[in-house]
Formats: sequence, structure tokens, C-alpha cells
Amino acid sequence: MPVVTLYLDRLQRLVGGKTNKGKILQVLPFLGLDIEEEQKDFVRVEYSPNRPDYATDVGIASGLQGLLGVKKGQVKMSIKKEKKKFLIKSDSSVKKIRPYISGVIARNGKLDDESIRQLIALQEDLHFGIGRRRKKASIGIHDLDSISSPLRYTAVSKDHEFVPLASTQSITVKEILEKTSTGQEYSHILGDSPRVPIILDAKNHTISFPPIINSALTTVSSGTKNILVEVTGIDKNAVDDSLSVVATTLQNMGFAISDVVIDAKNSSDVFKARTILIDPVLVNQILGLDLSIPKICDSLKKCRLDAVPRGKKILCSIPRFRFDILGEMDLVEEIALGHGIENLKPSLPPSISVGEKNNVTKKLDQITSVMIGLGFTEALNSSLTSKQILYDYTKRDSSEIIEVAESKSLEHTVLRDSILPGLLENLSKNIHESYPQKLFETGVVFTRGHPIDETIAISCVSAHKDANFTEIKSVLQSLLKTDSNIVCKTNSFAHPSFASGRTAEILVGGKPVGIVGEIDSQVIDNFKIRVPVSGFEIKLSGLIFD
Amino acid sequence: MSLVLHPIEKTMIKILKELPNLTPEEIAERSGLSIDQIRRGIEWLRLKNLAVVIESEKSFASLGKNGLSSIDEGLPERRLVQLIENQPVSFDELRKKLLDEINVAIANAKRNDWIAIQKGESSSMVSLKGKPEQTREEKLISIIGKNKIPLDMVQDRPALESLEKRPDYIIIETIKSKTVSLTDEAKIIDLDLIDSGAIDVAADAPVVFAARTHPLKDTISEIRETFVSLGFTEIMGDLAQPSFWNFDALFTPQDHPAREMQDTFYIKGKLAEKFATPSQIRQVSDSHRKGWRYDWNVDAAKKMVLRTHTTCVTIKYLAENKPEEARVFSLGRVFRNEKVSYKHLVEFNQVEGIVVGKNVSLRDLMGIQKEFYKKLGLAKIKFWPTFFPYTEPSLQTMVYNDKLEKWVELFGMGIFRPEVTRPFGITRPVLAWGGGIERIAMLKYGLDDVREFYNNNLGWLRNVPKCQ
Repeated sequence: MPVVTLYLDRLQRLVGGKTNKGKILQVLPFLGLDIEEEQKDFVRVEYSPNRPDYATDVGIASGLQGLLGVKKGQVKMSIKKEKKKFLIKSDSSVKKIRPYISGVIARNGKLDDESIRQLIALQEDLHFGIGRRRKKASIGIHDLDSISSPLRYTAVSKDHEFVPLASTQSITVKEILEKTSTGQEYSHILGDSPRVPIILDAKNHTISFPPIINSALTTVSSGTKNILVEVTGIDKNAVDDSLSVVATTLQNMGFAISDVVIDAKNSSDVFKARTILIDPVLVNQILGLDLSIPKICDSLKKCRLDAVPRGKKILCSIPRFRFDILGEMDLVEEIALGHGIENLKPSLPPSISVGEKNNVTKKLDQITSVMIGLGFTEALNSSLTSKQILYDYTKRDSSEIIEVAESKSLEHTVLRDSILPGLLENLSKNIHESYPQKLFETGVVFTRGHPIDETIAISCVSAHKDANFTEIKSVLQSLLKTDSNIVCKTNSFAHPSFASGRTAEILVGGKPVGIVGEIDSQVIDNFKIRVPVSGFEIKLSGLIFD
Repeated sequence: MSLVLHPIEKTMIKILKELPNLTPEEIAERSGLSIDQIRRGIEWLRLKNLAVVIESEKSFASLGKNGLSSIDEGLPERRLVQLIENQPVSFDELRKKLLDEINVAIANAKRNDWIAIQKGESSSMVSLKGKPEQTREEKLISIIGKNKIPLDMVQDRPALESLEKRPDYIIIETIKSKTVSLTDEAKIIDLDLIDSGAIDVAADAPVVFAARTHPLKDTISEIRETFVSLGFTEIMGDLAQPSFWNFDALFTPQDHPAREMQDTFYIKGKLAEKFATPSQIRQVSDSHRKGWRYDWNVDAAKKMVLRTHTTCVTIKYLAENKPEEARVFSLGRVFRNEKVSYKHLVEFNQVEGIVVGKNVSLRDLMGIQKEFYKKLGLAKIKFWPTFFPYTEPSLQTMVYNDKLEKWVELFGMGIFRPEVTRPFGITRPVLAWGGGIERIAMLKYGLDDVREFYNNNLGWLRNVPKCQ
């Protein structure tokens, strides 16, 4: 989850009122912010990806104002008029590549280094989350004073040249896609189209190459007073959602927001608040409370929403940037936060239900206790293991291997179809410990089926200087007899992991259920074990339980 | 209390009564016991206040290079008398045989009064005089032999001093050593009166290890028992699941970052065949279209994944049983495609409980948490808001950890979103909570590396106490 650094002096100033820092620290977790690190001057908090507005301290300050009662209700977007309309015309040539564009202008604000850093973090969160790694929407933030209206959103060939952000040289779009790291990371979004989207200004200067990179010409710095925000994408909702979060944040930072006219439509039209009608009965039922309508309205206002009674219900108004609110239940949570989680007293529902363990669990517990009684210690291995341990070292046939895609860990790439190899690996890691070493494990093994069959198996190994077939067969017989009064037969069998002539198939009622024997000396060598090992493995599903 | 002595102790007392101030090695040699047995015996005797160990310096004498060769060859004076045993021999002849030892040989033989020298024409003649008996020096050499002898055991000091004057005959070393002697209390023990059938019951016994269940399994069992005692019934499900039940049924949009291969294990080349009823698929698809405004794709729902949470088991249970009232839980392995580290595993255990009922509320959910943690011995808890994609409202439990002296985040909880339950025809609230079990086990066993649970290190498995 993303993390933001909050400087306490700054935050206290933004919250206003007579709030002290101690109170702020106390309330932060009740906004859903986890304090990761606390220092004298600052705290680092983790925020949820559903609240990108909390990427900045102005967003968090706004939330704190509500819970602390400094300011309640919705922060209204106030849209100013530009003296001369700022226009973006989108060309039909981009319709198939990246059809949507929107934007706003933010004037007369001041940006310091910290605000710029937070704006970039906000932008990255939006790119990752609702932007789906810039595919659905990507944001460009520009210094307005180096741009002349109208802008043109159009498609150009890959020979188009401009100076990209953080560079001084003009290079082609083709080079940006092939040679820069952002180009390589995001070029797939543009697919194999020979033409790419570009935003040009009235003087034909390149402003941006969405969703890859802005131009150096419009770089925002701490001297920037006026800003143009543009958002492009393939999903209109994601574009408008992203724009609303950035516009709200810039307004909170002290900028005056005004419209950009996109193909004759005012961009701010989409910022209109939504309304949801909520039933106090549902609220009280879900929270287990008995709150009055005014109380519920007040709780919603503390979460910076607007709410008015409407008959026996409440009409709640939600600003555009709160797209995390999907319906009534999201508002129930807001009411819980506004009311105060600390004010919710835990209660216990009356219960007459009788609990029970699953049958498989019960049987496994029994088997475990018998194995402990036989002197075997329980081991635990991952179901995901490596081809080397599962097949190579044990000399087993790997043609039925079940692999996972793109594992980040080389030791975890294959699903086990047998427990025994893991136990041999355990013995190999413990050669310095005293012998005898006797281990067992129960767990799920996987085989190809429809599409994957899962069965529960048990395996055990005995390692010491006198380990042999007879000893392990005794254990096997005793386990089956003690646990389930099962009598088994053992018939001579060949298996690559076991020594020839000292291995048997385990038969119960004429049906094969597993294998028992002395481990092959080459396999023991492969695991660098220095004593003889014997062992068995049985499938329990179908034998002990269904 | 009557005194009981181990046979080792008895043997040691017997030796030390005769010869106080011995090193452990000396006692071992005299007793025929191993040095480890002696060391153990010393500790036991010390604990009983029967022996004291003194760190002291002890000097030892051994033969040097020339001393060692004289064992076989004899001292120069002995060789001299052997040469003249039968008849007098000229000085020049003797010099040829004895080389530069000639002077030492002559001087010592003269001192022993073994030889007579007569001046001859060209060279003096040396002849035997009387019978050359073994000298005290020779006797000492044979006593020392190839050994290292404590200096205080050498009785013939003049002989030693005399040999010391010769080059490379004697080496005197001072070695710091521990010597053991008996206390006054021990000196008066009459060993014959000690009960010979008794053994030292206070002495250490060899270590044996109990076969046992895995410590993590113990915590899992404890948590399972806790759920059962709170009236919950266990349900189970597959580890490999169609994406439909792991993601789609839980309202996770198909292009959600959590569904990417970086975070989830997809099974190569495996697609689910029949994974849900047509109506279930249609309803889930509608819920996604309305809630997330995109075109839901059935092919993405078929991809087989290793379950990322046990919630897929819960939702499948709800969809299949549509209970009006329920208290169930599922517990088992879940998978995340992450880099393995001290705090992350690719495969770990999770538990999740749900309550379905007509009038169940968020406060009830909090009450169950309180009860649950109380049974696990965690009494100090509080609740903070948090975010989970498929519950609303959502909270997390913070538990105060006395060892770490801070609040630790444990299980998450919430009420299933209507977008999750409605497609399956579930109208009553579903309270749900759960989390990783290894986190709790780590607190319990005081581990700071979660990998320890799966290392199967016998040293740890055999020795970690069951009760923490």
C-alpha cells in the first residue's frame, strides 16, 4: 500500500482551528491511515488505494477537519471563468488509439517542493489504480504560461520529434518508445498502431505524448503559478475520475480552478455531485445502533459529504472525486467513521449454534497423533516447490509436471504431486543434527485432472544408520491398523526414488494406495544425506476419508 | 540428606585422596574414564562442594632433541666407554668416532672416574678403569623417556640440573592448568559407607527428543478450536481455484492490479471447465458491468489460480447453500506471488469466519473479535477503519503486544458488499473476518523471521517449548 510523509507543522496549519498535533496523531488512524513511522517532526502513513486524494497532505487535512469538527460537509468545487476560453480540439485520428481527453486550468497558486512531490505521488497512484497502469487514463500536469490555446489532440507518425521531460535534446517518438525506460514500460498500451497520440499547442509545440511522457517545455517547478492538467485515456469514466481528484487537490492547495473547453463542452460539467438516498433503518441495522436522522446527517458531514433529510430517508450528496463510494453500504461505512469507530461498543450476537471441525481435519488429527506415538516429528513444507527437488533429485518422471506462471521465487515454481521429496530435502538440511531422524507430513498433493485434482496424502521418512524396509513397513502397518483398523499388503514394485528389490506397492483391498521402501542410494547422494533412509507415502483421500 | 555419589564421582574422590592437585587429564589417565566424564564429574563435585578447581601453573620436564637421541644411543661418555671396552684406544681414533662430542665425553667419563689417560708418542691413549655403572643422569633420562613429567615428580634434582647444563637435553615448560583437589569435607568421606546401589539423581541425563506436532500446526489447531468453541463449523475447499471464485465472485474487476501475474500464481495452461452455474455466471457478470462499467469476459474467469485467500471457499459455500443463518469458517493454505523474505512467504495459512443472520451488525462482528482474541489470550484490542475490496464497512483489529510494546495489526473484518452477495441471492448481512495465522504464531513463538516455520530445522523443531 502507498505511503505519504506528513510534516506535522504543515498539517496542523492546513487543518486550522485550534487543533494540536497530539489530537491529529490520534485521529489519523480513524481516517483509515495506518501510521508506519512516527518522528518528532513528521509521520509516515499508509493509505488505501481507494482514496488517492490521501496521497497529499491537503487531502488528509480536509478529512481531519471533518472528523475534528473544524469544517464539515462537502468541499465545493468552485469553477471560475477564463477570460478567454481555453480550447482543446480532439482530432478523429486519435479515436481508435486513445479516444478521450479532458482537462482543467488551475491559476494563481503557489507550489513548493513538497507540494510538487505529493502531486507527482498522487499522479502515480491514479496512473496505477483507476488508470490501470496508464492504460485507462494518464495525467499530464503542465506549466500553463508556456502554452498557447487552442490545443490540438491528434495522432502523428513515429518520426514526430520533440524534447521530452528531463531532457535537452529533441528526439523522435520512435526513439522515446524504444530507448527510454518509460517508453519501454508503457509502449504496449499504444499497441501496434503506426501513429501515436500527441498534444500540440497553437504554436505547434508538442505539449505531451500521452500516455508516455510530457514535453520539457511545460515542466512544472516551484516557480509555477498557473497549471494546465490534461487527462487522456481509453475509458471516459477513468479519465473524468482522475481529473476530478487532481482538480480537487489543486483547489485544496489554493489554486483557482477554471474550465477547459473540449470540443465545445465545458470540462467541469462532469464534476457535478451525485446523490444517493439512504435508509436510516439499514444504517442502524448494519451498525447495530439507533441513530436519529440528524445524527446520521452529522456523521456524513464529518466525512466531508453533504446530507439532508428527505422524508424518512436521507439524501446524501457525493463529490465526483469520491468514486470509491458505490452505493448505500459505502455510506454506512462513512457514517460509522463520522460517528466514531471508538464509539461503537462490541456486542455479542445470541448464539445457539454448535461448532464442529471438518471431518477431514478430525481424521488428520487422529493420524497425526498416531504418527507422533510412533516417534515421528511433524514437518511442514510448501506445496509449491522446485523441479529440482520434486523430480531431478528424486529421479522421478516429470512429464506430468504442474507449473505456475512467472513465479518471483525460483524455489517455488512447481506444485507438488508427492510429499516425500520435501521430507528428503528436510533430511538434507539437518545432517548435522543427531540421529535417528524421523519425520512425517500430511498435506495436499496435486495431479493433472479436471483441471487439477487435489488429494490429501501422508508421507514419512526414517533416517539412521540401520534404517531399512522392515522398520518402515512396521510403522506403516501400525499406522493403518491403529488409525483405521486397515490391513495392508505389500507387493514388490519398482520406483525410481526407491532401491530396487527393497520397495513395495501398498495395497488395501487389492487397490494400490501408496509406496513403501528404502530410498535409492543415488537419491540419498543427490540430497547429500549420509545415512540410509526408508519411507512411505500413502494417499489418504479415498482410503481414510472421501 | 544422605550423600549420594555417582560412580564417576566415587572414582575421582578415591584418586584425589591419594594424589591431590591433579589436572583433569591426569585424573582421566589414572581412572581410565574419558575426559568428558571427568569434566562432568568435576562439575558435579563442585556443585556438592566436594572439590575445588584451582587454576595454577605447572612445570613439566621433557627431553630435548639430544636427550631423545641419547635414549637409544647413550650419553657421549657411555659411548666412549663402549669404544674402549676391550682395549685402550688412542685419542685421535676416539675423536674420529665421537667427533665434537669428544670433549664432553672425556670430561664426564673422567668425572665418573671411568677412564685413565696415558700420554703416548703421537697421541694419548684412553683406557677403561673399573666398571662403569648406570649414572643418575642416565637413570633420569630413562625415567623421562618420551613423556612430559611434572617437575615436582622429578626426585633427582642434581641429575636434572646436570642434564640441563647440556645443550638440548632437557626442556622445562610451564603450562597453565586447572587442577582439582578435594575440599576438607570430601577428604573425610568414607567411600565404603556410601550406598553403592544409589545413583546421583541430581546429575545430568542424556538428552532425548519427544516426537511432536509442528509448532505452527499447534497454533493452527488452537485457532481452529477457538472457532469451534465459538460455535463455528469448518468448511473446506480446493487450493487451486478458477479465477471466477477467487476474484470475480468477490467483485474484483478483471483488470484489477491484484489479478496480475506479479501478485497471483496462475497455473500454466490450465482452464476451469465447469466452474459455476450459468445463472451464477450471468449474475456476477451483471454485477461487474454495473459496478465497474466494463465488459466482463468469461475466459478470464476460467483461468486457474492458486487461491489468494480463503474467501473463495466462503463465497462458494454461500452461493451453493444460500443460508439464512450460518456460522462457518475455513482455514488453510493461500498463495501470493511475492519475493520470499523475513516477513513474506509465497504460501501461508489463513483463517476466515463468517456469520450470516437476520439482525447481525458491525457491533456483533466487533464482539466476536473481542471474544476470539480473548480466547487466544490477547485481551487488549481496538478497532481501526481500513479498506478491503469486498467488504463495506471494513475494520481491522489492532492487538497490543506486550513484548513489542506496541499495537500490532491482526485480522481484518467487514460486511460483504451487496455487489458480492446479491448476485448469489444472499440478502442477509454476511459478517466476515480473518487473516494470516503465521503472524499470530510469530508473536506466540517470538520469531522475527516467518520462514523459520517452513525451514524444518530439527534443532528448532525439537527444542522450541510447546507453551509460550
